[in-house]
Amino acid sequence: MRFLALTGLQAALLALITAGAIVALYFLKLRHRRMVIASSMLWGRVLDERQAQSLWEKLRRLISILAAVVIGLLIALAIARPEIHWLTGGGERTLLVLDTSPSMLARTSDGMTRWEHAVAAALKTVNAAAPSSEFRVADTAGRIDAAPTTDRREIREAIERMKPISGMSSFPEKDPQTVHVHFITDGVVPLAMPRGTIRESVFEEAENVAITAFEIRSTASSALAYEAYLEVHNYGKQDREVRLTIAGPGGQHIERALNLKAGGEFGGPFDLSKFEGGGIRATIQAGGDALSLDDTAFAYLPINRTAKTLLVTNGNPYLEALLRLDSLVDVTVIKPEKYQPDPSFDAYIFDGFAPANAPPRPTLFIGETPNTTWLPQTKGTLSKPRFATWSEDHPVMRYVSLHDVALERAGRIENINMQVLAESADHAPLILASEEKQRPRWVLTAFSLKNSDFPLHSGFPLFIDNALGWLSRESLALRRQPGVISVPLAQAEIKGLNGERLGSYSQGETTMFEAAEPGLYVATHEDSRQYVAVNLASAQYSNVNKTVSTKDRPAAVTAGWMEQELWFYMIGAAALLLVFEWFTYHRGITV
Amino acid sequence: MAATVSLFDDEFLKKLEYLSILSKRLFAGQLKAERRAMRRGTGLEFADYRQYVAGDDFRHLDWKAYLRLNKLILRLFEEEEDLPIYMFVDASQSMSYGNPTKFDYARRVAAALCYIGLSNLDRVNVVAYANKVKGELQPQRGKGRIFRVFRFLEEITTSGETNARESFKTYCTETRRRGLCVVISDFFDTSGFQSGLDILRHFKHDIFILHIASHEEVDPALKGELVLVDSENNVSREVTVTPSLLASYKAEYHRFCTEIESYCSKYQLGYVRTVTDFPFEELVLKVFRQGRFLK
Repeated sequence: MRFLALTGLQAALLALITAGAIVALYFLKLRHRRMVIASSMLWGRVLDERQAQSLWEKLRRLISILAAVVIGLLIALAIARPEIHWLTGGGERTLLVLDTSPSMLARTSDGMTRWEHAVAAALKTVNAAAPSSEFRVADTAGRIDAAPTTDRREIREAIERMKPISGMSSFPEKDPQTVHVHFITDGVVPLAMPRGTIRESVFEEAENVAITAFEIRSTASSALAYEAYLEVHNYGKQDREVRLTIAGPGGQHIERALNLKAGGEFGGPFDLSKFEGGGIRATIQAGGDALSLDDTAFAYLPINRTAKTLLVTNGNPYLEALLRLDSLVDVTVIKPEKYQPDPSFDAYIFDGFAPANAPPRPTLFIGETPNTTWLPQTKGTLSKPRFATWSEDHPVMRYVSLHDVALERAGRIENINMQVLAESADHAPLILASEEKQRPRWVLTAFSLKNSDFPLHSGFPLFIDNALGWLSRESLALRRQPGVISVPLAQAEIKGLNGERLGSYSQGETTMFEAAEPGLYVATHEDSRQYVAVNLASAQYSNVNKTVSTKDRPAAVTAGWMEQELWFYMIGAAALLLVFEWFTYHRGITV
Repeated sequence: MAATVSLFDDEFLKKLEYLSILSKRLFAGQLKAERRAMRRGTGLEFADYRQYVAGDDFRHLDWKAYLRLNKLILRLFEEEEDLPIYMFVDASQSMSYGNPTKFDYARRVAAALCYIGLSNLDRVNVVAYANKVKGELQPQRGKGRIFRVFRFLEEITTSGETNARESFKTYCTETRRRGLCVVISDFFDTSGFQSGLDILRHFKHDIFILHIASHEEVDPALKGELVLVDSENNVSREVTVTPSLLASYKAEYHRFCTEIESYCSKYQLGYVRTVTDFPFEELVLKVFRQGRFLK
């Protein structure tokens, strides 16, 4: 036994003084009151008879003083916070890890979530441990990894700060001083654990229908026509009737009833051409659903508006005809000598021309351009280059095929400090894009339309449309999962769908914020704006019944019978004894 | 005298008068103060004849019978004599217990009985005793002597232990006439209440017991750690008074009373038990109803 609040000597002294004081007080209490009675004749007979007959009469005083001393010692030793190793264990370090994957938010049959069960089990484990036991509390998301401490308040606070969040899950490293490792999990996200880890399960089978994918993309026919792609999975054990709703900001909505078999899925595109631009919300309703986090998904539909475009050219019938045919482009054509920087335009197209200073708006440069200080330098020409590779992932090159495009010649660009969208076989950039923070975007083709058959290919209108879209139109939302989200926009202000401002912090060229739930968020900084659609959209997290913890012991019963420190029970015992002593004293059973 | 005022005040005297009248009415038709003794004497009532023997008072010779029978026949008359009442009042220290004290109560009852006795022309003796006879009022007769009784009763004080045997033995060996002995006591006699009463029975007295108790004795309100000090001998005893101990004491007290009652029943002695807050005049009437006090 050892004492946490006092040294052993202090505890012994305290016990000694307490016992001595009680005995002294007891005898003070026993100073009898003198009472003159008429005759002690009858009292004498009674007392002689009782004392002769009853052993209890002889023991009563002893028992009474013993009870008083025991009460005093219990209180005194409780103050010293004793710890008995064989009873409570203790003095050892335990790494207590809680699984914070989103599947922990699945509801169980008692109405609580797996996470609430996990927190309760963790607190139970902490409470049941000896006072001197150290706990290091950590989550699997890597957000909380508290320093080892014996302070129960700190430990509880650390546990209560944790919350399920999506993102990379990993098991914290075990330090050499750690003796025990407890992991409370539902086993949905399997993790590599140190040997000897005691895994406690909060898993319980649950019904869950989830949106596992929801995104908006432009159609192949037009970069300005959008469709939504959505996937719904039934991860439960029963067939489900699911009501799917896709709602837009202008009141437009699509509703569909789905009948999903157990383990079944639905996936398909939804035409959003009738929808106004803005936030789009997809929701599913299925009775008895255990996880609500994946029942809603968000996306952003760019607003289609006419892009005011200035074409500076000495005459390019392909380009002019194409731009005039585009209903979303309001084109103005001028000669290079008439060019004046005008920020009222949404975009510029310079055909074989480049101004001395960078234009104030995003620009598409077509053809070999004269050398300027702000554009990559052209050094020489390439003869009959062919497109070897191009980046189909870039929005400018989406659905654009450069197969069989023949070039007569192209400028040789050497400054490669920018994004190359297409290059020749000898890695000479043929199409480039710039996305510098301080300057408007621009796209540059190293070849002129006159020196190629590109205007005759089907990819040409797509390329122009994509380029204008990337330069001047709203971009699609970033897709992220709930948790800490990084937006590639420095010092941005983050707002939610309803305009509420979220806390954020800037880190380099990015802004970080935390989104606990699915939603559509917008990050703005000066003229720049970036939408972020936060959706769980994860087959791993939504499949709440796929677990590795089926054989683990349930977390709820792992705590010991002692859930409080020993002093708590000692005070309780003292109180009980006190009540007993009070009762027996007033009943005259003890003195 | 404060004691006079408290013990035998005007109110008390009025009650005595009332008791006296009430006793006469209650016992009308019974024999009154003039009691006929078994022996023949000089009374007015004719009793019998017998032969004259030398030494007889020849004034009682029936001369008419002598003329007719020529024999000396003596006329016998019933002896008329008063009833000696011996009022034994326990004046031991234990009698000073209670509120009012048992001794005050005993003195009031004794005074009342004496008054009634004197009213009936009985010869009233008052004896205060403890471990010995502490005081004795010489036989009194007639209502007018009541104040002497009062004075005597007022003057005696409580002290010492009870030893009825020694007290009664001393008194009875000096006093030969048999009579009615009224013993007013709490009977806390360490030598046993029987031994004292046995002495009175031995001298053929008619005995009437008035057992006085206080509420504090019958139902003591004691609790906790106490040193009980005997008022008579100052012997102390440590005790923890618990409900069960109190119950045992009450049972013991009840047994004690039952013993006295059984003793009285066995020897056909009059017995009345009372507590000190019981009105003394009602107690006196209760005594009358027992029919033993007045013969």
